Amino acid sequence: MREKWEKDIVSCGESRKIGANLQSPSDVMTMSETLDNIARAIVTLESSQKLVELVNRALQERVSSADVVEKGLRKGLHELGQKYESGEFFLSELLYGASLVDQAMMVVRPSLKVEKAETKGRIVLGTVRGDIHDIGKNIFKMMAEASGFDVHDLGVDVSPEKFRESVGEVSPNVLGLSSLLTTTLPEMRTTITELEKSGSKNTVKVLLGGNAVTENFRREIGADAAAVDAVQGLNYCVRWTKK
Amino acid sequence: MDFKKVDSIPWVESLDEEILMNFLSSGVPIQEVTAIQWGVFLDGFLLFNWPKVLGFDPYEYLGCINLTGCIVPVDIGPIPRFKQRRIGAGPRYEEYLTETGALSRRFSKGTKVVWYSMPQFYDFPVKDRASWEQYKKRLNPEDPRRYPKDWEKEGYIQVFEEYQNGPTTLGITGFYGFGAELMGITNFVTSFYKDPELINDMVTLWEQFTIQTLRDAVETLKDRIDMVYWWEDMAERHGPNISPKLYKEFLLPHYKTVTSFLNKNKIKRIMIDSDGNIQPILDLIIEAGINGTWPLEVNAGMDVRTVRKLHGEKLFLGGNFDKKEIEKGGEAMRNEIDSKLPLMKETGGYLAGLDHDVPVTFTLERFREYANYLTSQLAI
Repeated sequence: MREKWEKDIVSCGESRKIGANLQSPSDVMTMSETLDNIARAIVTLESSQKLVELVNRALQERVSSADVVEKGLRKGLHELGQKYESGEFFLSELLYGASLVDQAMMVVRPSLKVEKAETKGRIVLGTVRGDIHDIGKNIFKMMAEASGFDVHDLGVDVSPEKFRESVGEVSPNVLGLSSLLTTTLPEMRTTITELEKSGSKNTVKVLLGGNAVTENFRREIGADAAAVDAVQGLNYCVRWTKK
Repeated sequence: MDFKKVDSIPWVESLDEEILMNFLSSGVPIQEVTAIQWGVFLDGFLLFNWPKVLGFDPYEYLGCINLTGCIVPVDIGPIPRFKQRRIGAGPRYEEYLTETGALSRRFSKGTKVVWYSMPQFYDFPVKDRASWEQYKKRLNPEDPRRYPKDWEKEGYIQVFEEYQNGPTTLGITGFYGFGAELMGITNFVTSFYKDPELINDMVTLWEQFTIQTLRDAVETLKDRIDMVYWWEDMAERHGPNISPKLYKEFLLPHYKTVTSFLNKNKIKRIMIDSDGNIQPILDLIIEAGINGTWPLEVNAGMDVRTVRKLHGEKLFLGGNFDKKEIEKGGEAMRNEIDSKLPLMKETGGYLAGLDHDVPVTFTLERFREYANYLTSQLAI
């Protein structure tokens, strides 16, 4: 019996045995089970206390911080996003789940720095000039950071020149432009024109977000994608930065 | 709104002061839209007889009806009010304390951007239970300041009997709108999970407060109140900001209590105002006792034809002309109206209009073109 169980663990690819001092198979949790529990706690919207306990236990059991983040927290966040996209979850669940990840990241972050984990990519983000709304932008930022992107948030009411300068300085993979108001949509066009004039348009993917944005408008101004929500925007970023 | 046979579909719009200013500066004759009072009387004695400008009413001139018409004067805000005031100003922004205790930022008037519109709210009065306990003190339904000083029932009944320029409306802030306004959207919607007891306490108090505060007006005016306008703004393009599950568990019972109270007083038309895609909770909204919705925002995927097909006469509907298409004028404008109006004329229970306030970018010329075409199509 024990032989079969150990064989199963070995054949489980990424799995490795943890809790080496435990005596029976039933007491032992594989690394993948531990990480699955972390992911599940996010998707089932458990308390932050429970998630932090699971994360601490994983770290005590010598699971690497990078694995906790990638195969536990981000896996959970990804599943959360899928449920949001499919209409099973709504903003309440998405934001709460993202806040769980945020709190768990505070526990993991110190050791993550020691391990020098790679970022998924860089995003420069802002609400365009003339618009000071930031709820949607901030939700996207929260999701993108929790997913491992290095986000440079320029805030609200950002001029095309400021976007252009920041693209030059940060060399982001993605430039995210947000606008709630229909009246400020032309600023997205102006920003893209600014990038074209400076020759940096082809160095970065331009992602549009916000209530006023439509697919027709995106095509009209030559942006790379228009997202209806934070999760869809994040999916574009993941696709564009996949190595 | 009652699905009764009518000669013509009503056309309702909501015009804020900024679009009104634009229209005035573009040629709307000021004498046509200015309400002037010539005499001021006190107990039958003439005190003054010079012209006093009371305000501007462009609706009749433009040919439409003000969505919210004449509003029943009950104050459901925090009392004492937070004194709305400017707390800071720079060359580009001004910062305000709002009357509900939030901090907001908006563009300075001189800035060449939309200065009115919606401000950015960056701090909120309720953050946790302790701050909620403090805020509660401002929600005393018995405070005499909630009704006008001259609240004399027969006089008000007469006023509302005589008002003919639109619906007499009782405005209520909904359970979601109340919480999101006090806590900010992110903190409020996540608190359903983080601190459900706090949410329960907030919505329970709001139910009791709403009924107790409105009781006198509702029991006095009864069905002279044409419509309850329940402000929520509880959705984004993807769907409602709180899930149907949370809506059902936390809000639905409280809605039912309030709608039951209104129905008992013969008030039958209860409309929710929410931007965004509320399709996933429309069944629950109907179960709550709400029977109308506006503005059916096209960009969020709302379509008056689909809602009518799915919910029939359970909901009267308002709005849903895509403001972006209407603003283009010409064929785009006519196509948008022609694609929706015939079905709504056939099925009734519809208030024609744009899918939100008239945008500030709308020119007077385009609005007139829209008005001319729409009014030519409204007759049954």
